[in-house]
Amino acid sequence: MAASVDTTLRRPSMAERRPSMAERRPSMNTRRPSVIPHLAGIEDPVFPSTPEDCDVLICGTGLVESILSAALSWAGTNVLHVDSNPYYGDTTATMTIEQIKAWCHNVNLNTPGFHGFAKALMYIPRPAKLNSRDYSIDLTPRLLFAKSDLLSLMVKSRVYRYLEFQSISNFHTFENDTFGKMSSSKEEIFTDQSLSLATKRSLMKLMKFVFEYDSEGNKQLMAEFGPTPFLKFVNDKYKLSDAQVNELCFTLGLAPTPDISTLAALARIRRYLISFNVYGSFPALYSKFGGPGELSQGFCRSAAVAGATYKLDSPIKSYDPSTQKVTFRDGTKVNVAEKVVCSASQAPEGAKNVPERKHQVNRLITIVERSCKEWFNEGESASVVVFPPKSLDSMNNYPVQVIIMGAGSGCCPAGQCIWYLSTIEKDQRGRKDLESALKKMEDSILRESEDGGFDVDLTEDDVIVRPDGSLSVINSVKLGKSFKEFAPKEKLTYLFKLMFTQFTSIDPLDSHTGAPSTTSFDDNGKNSIPGPDQGILYSQMPSTEISYDGVLAEVRALYTKIVGSDDDFFDVDFEDDDENSSPSGPPAGGVGAAAGLQDESAIIDEDGEEFKDEMDFEL
Amino acid sequence: MSETSSQSSALNGPPPTRFVQFKLVLLGESAVGKSSIVQRFVKDSFTELRESTIGAAFLTQTIQVDLNTTVKFEIWDTAGQERYRSLASMYYRNAQAALVVFDITQESSLDKAKYWVKELHKQANSDIVIALVANKLDLEAERKISTEEAQTFANELNLLYFEVSAKTGENVKDTFREVALKLPIEDKLKQSSSRRKTVDLNRRQNTNEQQCAC
Repeated sequence: MAASVDTTLRRPSMAERRPSMAERRPSMNTRRPSVIPHLAGIEDPVFPSTPEDCDVLICGTGLVESILSAALSWAGTNVLHVDSNPYYGDTTATMTIEQIKAWCHNVNLNTPGFHGFAKALMYIPRPAKLNSRDYSIDLTPRLLFAKSDLLSLMVKSRVYRYLEFQSISNFHTFENDTFGKMSSSKEEIFTDQSLSLATKRSLMKLMKFVFEYDSEGNKQLMAEFGPTPFLKFVNDKYKLSDAQVNELCFTLGLAPTPDISTLAALARIRRYLISFNVYGSFPALYSKFGGPGELSQGFCRSAAVAGATYKLDSPIKSYDPSTQKVTFRDGTKVNVAEKVVCSASQAPEGAKNVPERKHQVNRLITIVERSCKEWFNEGESASVVVFPPKSLDSMNNYPVQVIIMGAGSGCCPAGQCIWYLSTIEKDQRGRKDLESALKKMEDSILRESEDGGFDVDLTEDDVIVRPDGSLSVINSVKLGKSFKEFAPKEKLTYLFKLMFTQFTSIDPLDSHTGAPSTTSFDDNGKNSIPGPDQGILYSQMPSTEISYDGVLAEVRALYTKIVGSDDDFFDVDFEDDDENSSPSGPPAGGVGAAAGLQDESAIIDEDGEEFKDEMDFEL
Repeated sequence: MSETSSQSSALNGPPPTRFVQFKLVLLGESAVGKSSIVQRFVKDSFTELRESTIGAAFLTQTIQVDLNTTVKFEIWDTAGQERYRSLASMYYRNAQAALVVFDITQESSLDKAKYWVKELHKQANSDIVIALVANKLDLEAERKISTEEAQTFANELNLLYFEVSAKTGENVKDTFREVALKLPIEDKLKQSSSRRKTVDLNRRQNTNEQQCAC
């Protein structure tokens, strides 16, 4: 059968055998051998050994590698996708407690397959009350902005159907020992009684500029100020308080450093503002049961549907570019016709060509025995807190960013909450900042917590009336201040605490665009040092960014490196299988609508027209 | 796609008013006919040569279990990831039913089914309904695994047991119906009304005011 077509022939180069669009329609594709199912009763279901040939071998099932695998597979490339670990996700994995314990151990032993992480410190109080499988802990938690390239791709590729998404509205800023939430929409600014008229005007002016900074009229201005520091620009041009600038830059923009340029900061703030009201009155989403680790699994499944072969627990030992053979640690070999792509974390032992990873992100992950619902918007289970530079006792030079995931996110049991803190500050300094921020959060949750038995009387000033008449509490600042003197009788119970350092090649200043650093993609130069990894194309390790932005840019850069261009990146036609075309059809009488059920099936339409998706927009 | 079988709602009376959706996963070695069984159930067809195990996501099929209740199965195929025992944890998550398929003409395939049952116990919800499904009844002459042997194994592990032929369609629909009847339909109906809000990425608010099914 077709599965053995290309085992002996030396395949032509990728560029030569690039199929046409029509050929790449799933129904026309005859060149995707592994998609053909095993015929009933013909093949022996013996446990198969590693396939002998592939076009592209990808090592590591992190998010970048997984999207790459799906993109290549749907373009007709025969992908073998392996991971040295027995689970999916690699550097972006979502783990159970037991998995993360083993992970820590391996990081500290510097086991191959765990490179790129260092100094993992874990604390679980005894007797441990944690049921390992109740937890989904992300190594690199991320938020999905409602208007972003990855979200569009998930809709287009139908990968979103494997996942569940929830909204995240609350972006708090820590200021003067309290958490504040900024007025970030036009209506909120207009109705916010704590703002003076002059401030309102200034804020509106800046918001307007955020949308127009790249227009023709602002070209000259941006040429002059674009590369200069944003904080100076905004202080010179707008009459805003430090607190407001901090919120704009570090909370709405999630800028990782006060050195951020005007151009980058404006792009980041705009990202937040344009994401608002896309799906509802919130700017971002997250996937339930875990972030990038779940998305990785979704894209791997998509790749598998397109014909990619998956094999976990298969570390590679070496690659010989002259014979194009990869040897696995168990001794098996595979011929790779085109390219070997490897996550820097899974580089073979003795690797000589791993790109330099000079940027750090320090992370602190804790599970606390509190619901933390005080920090969530009603009906939600997650929020963001940002500690701007110099807001902590440690006099932090860089912001500390926190993603808070409550039980409703499916990541921990009821009554508990996961806090993910991170900063780009390096080494001990970074860890000190994280501890300092953690202390502030602990104090704050003990003060604000309803579990503490305190009620706070809100005054009219603390509540805004939205244009639609609904009420919204804006002043959680007040909530904090009123209890500043309150010394908690209770202590916060930490069920789990993990601190570690992660390295990346991606400069934090570029992290939202994912611009690949030149060194990591230079396989003609630096990747040619003789060694077990000569000729391997490395991905860069997850960026310091806490949104998914930048991920897709890196995938496209890798794709281009392999294929020659990204013109046909995920250029696949999917069409929804609406109930009318399904032979068995819906139950009679249009009752599907009555039950609020939407048709969830999506199959490839054999005569698929070009995909038209309303989500298909670019920033 | 053909408009072959028209409608399962040949039953008289008013249309069903209650809908429940369940995730069902398929497990078993390569080549035992997992995809063929789904193909038979969903499209009522059997193709010897198909391109893809499934489409971009998963297949769905509804089955009416009583006069006013329809169960919708969201059926996840392995997409080949079972070959090297590399199924993702996502695959098992919230699966409420599983078909563990083996081939009556392959001596070793029942033993291998045991591995998948074990995996289900390890990775899936504890209340998952598991059915052991013997496929290729049409090849009765080549049968290597007796009904008694499989039934005994199923009884030991408290599994439902069915024998089907994806090729002829024999017993396929009944298998899914029996599984549907074992599912906690009432609990799920209660649960779905109190479920937390999720966002459907394919429904933007500013183009479509319709909210998600909450």
